[in-house]
Amino acid sequence: MKILGILNFEPNSVRVTGIEDYRPVSSASFLGRYRVLDFMISNLTNSGISDIELYIKDRPRSAVEHVSGTKYNFNSKKGRILMLTGEKTYTNPIYNTDLAAFEANHHFISSASADLVVLAPTHFIFTQDFQEMIKAHQESGNDVTVLYHSVNNADKRFALCNVLKIDENGRVTDLSLNTGKYKHRNVSLETYVMSYKLFLQLIERGSRTSSLYWFHDVLSDSLEDLKVGTYSHKGYVACLNNLPAFHEANLQLAKEENMAKVISPDWPIFTLTHDTCPTIYEETAQVTDSSVGNGCRIAGTVIESMIGRDCRVGKGSVIKNCVLLPGSSVGEGVYIENAVIDRYANISMQKDLRGTAEDPLYVRKSDHI
Amino acid sequence: MSRNNMVALILAGGRGSRLFDLTKKIAKPAVHFGGKYRIIDFALSNCANSDVDTVGIAVQYESIQLSSYVAHDQLWGLNTAGGGVYVLPPREKEGSGFDIYEGTANAIAQNLDFLDQEKPDYVLVLSGDHIYKMDYREMLQKHVESKADATIAVIEVPMKEASRFGIMNCDEEDRIVEFEEKPPVPKSNLASMGIYIFNYKTMRKYLLEDEKKENSSHDFGKDIIPAYLHDGKKLQAYRFKGYWKDVGTVDSLWEANMDLIDDESELDLFDPEWKIYTDDTMTPPATFGKKASAKKSYITQGCHVDGTVYHSVLFTGTTVSEGAEVRDTVVMNNVKIGKGARLNRCLVMDDLVIPDGMELGDKNAEKVLLVSKKVIDEAGRKQK
Repeated sequence: MKILGILNFEPNSVRVTGIEDYRPVSSASFLGRYRVLDFMISNLTNSGISDIELYIKDRPRSAVEHVSGTKYNFNSKKGRILMLTGEKTYTNPIYNTDLAAFEANHHFISSASADLVVLAPTHFIFTQDFQEMIKAHQESGNDVTVLYHSVNNADKRFALCNVLKIDENGRVTDLSLNTGKYKHRNVSLETYVMSYKLFLQLIERGSRTSSLYWFHDVLSDSLEDLKVGTYSHKGYVACLNNLPAFHEANLQLAKEENMAKVISPDWPIFTLTHDTCPTIYEETAQVTDSSVGNGCRIAGTVIESMIGRDCRVGKGSVIKNCVLLPGSSVGEGVYIENAVIDRYANISMQKDLRGTAEDPLYVRKSDHI
Repeated sequence: MSRNNMVALILAGGRGSRLFDLTKKIAKPAVHFGGKYRIIDFALSNCANSDVDTVGIAVQYESIQLSSYVAHDQLWGLNTAGGGVYVLPPREKEGSGFDIYEGTANAIAQNLDFLDQEKPDYVLVLSGDHIYKMDYREMLQKHVESKADATIAVIEVPMKEASRFGIMNCDEEDRIVEFEEKPPVPKSNLASMGIYIFNYKTMRKYLLEDEKKENSSHDFGKDIIPAYLHDGKKLQAYRFKGYWKDVGTVDSLWEANMDLIDDESELDLFDPEWKIYTDDTMTPPATFGKKASAKKSYITQGCHVDGTVYHSVLFTGTTVSEGAEVRDTVVMNNVKIGKGARLNRCLVMDDLVIPDGMELGDKNAEKVLLVSKKVIDEAGRKQK
């Protein structure tokens, strides 16, 4: 059975303030040494799927540089990761939908001639063995199987994600957007298994219906004439659709017990190595409840934070609930709480920076403050 | 071959018997170092950073891990057109038996066919078990400028330690006039670093002649260099300044690891212009628990610290449980240190489990304790 893995780009409702001024969230640095999309690509290759199309919404430089250099652990002669963008230029970004990108790259999709398609997002973090999901899909007789997670914080997170109404047979009866009104929702993880033939049909049907349609729109339209079933996801899940969610997911996963849920020797996450040396903890360093990438020099205090590769934390500084993206540095005697510091930024003059968990402070890439 | 017409040959066949259990199953150059590296990464990365892209590696003792590791030439970016890493084990040849390598010179003499095929102007001979960063391009430039037949890299060592090294006695222009292996009364403190650049044609002739000598030990230091000197060939010393360490003993391996923490040490692996490349283990960043403390330490990815780490180096995948104390210790890969365990002045081998509460090593001990499975079992019996 030939499986085509398609990694979709994020919907227009995703707004990761600051971070996305430089790259789509899928190619942002995540958890010290990774890019967000490493998690979903590794999910595919760990599931034995190595025929992959990766869709990038815009500004592909960051993703191209990273993905082309990374060994995602498959036979590179037999498998491949094809990076694709929408080929058209858009006067208005609302036309830049996944269906438009699939249409524009119709040649690549139609020449793949697979049996099954796994369509998955790149702005989510979760672990899923797609072979298990495919097995359940085939046993169920579903036309489409949607991966979902029953969450109890839909009022705070997963804003404008798809939420599902599921009947007693596990069939999707309604697909709508999460308005944040309720805590308990079945959030779609925007991951679908379907036959390759049906996937092609749905692209065509969707594009014919509306130029503004996304894949989930055409799926929503088809709930009555297709058997759209569900597969429940267990374990850690985060949707990186805004800055607080990006900040929170980094801090959650910086804790070893959570990190082990998404990265383990049995389920490695592959990424590009930068050959940085280990990290030095100086005499004055104090690091607790945190995670630190390689190549750092830590002389200050780090509490419940995620410190990326090649960062510096000077003597007397306190970093609390912060995400330092790779290459950023903090001078001496600086206090920072609840902030996301973008790459190569340097904070040494400003001695006190504070955001809140729900409104983290963002320091721009390469800023000196 | 690269544009400088120089091929490197790394001598990586020795056992390193003074590392005891560490080299029981792997050759010394494949022993791990500095958190995430293997010792041979230094010679290979120096080659890569010096534009030497064709590297032969003479292997012999317990060579399986070493050979399969270095064969991944893309790790050092050496997988260029015409370049690459060539693993050179002893082999059976037509018309002769199975000849093991009998000395450093013999290891190269047996691979003259490899060199003939590459047709280099210069051959760079290196050891696979030294920790240093060096730009071989500069050494080659000096070699060419001095019109020497061979150039030997030397480093100044303290006079009182000079009798432990091969010492080069030079004239005022750094031309080598005499070579003394471990002289009891050294005349100079210029120690050979085991790094040579030879003009290939001359070297080829001398190696073949040496093969015919019955009483030769077929060693560069003992036989080839003296033969060059005897014939009045021009041997030039190339003075190297910087960090260089032969990690031949448990103590020197431990020390070299500790040098990574020491601010005074010149071994800086942070330099983005001269990275040391290695195999990435695909492990996540290091994590620290609520009660963790790590000071004056060098810790790599894949580690988890819940206890106290002071003046120590932790290699990939090592965990330090709550209440455990690790001091002045090098902990190699994937070691689990149990709750309340105490380690002082140890070098802990790969993949071991230190049971809860076990105490190993002594901070006042003269020698570093090499912790193997056997040492843990014995300590377990005693501490019961």
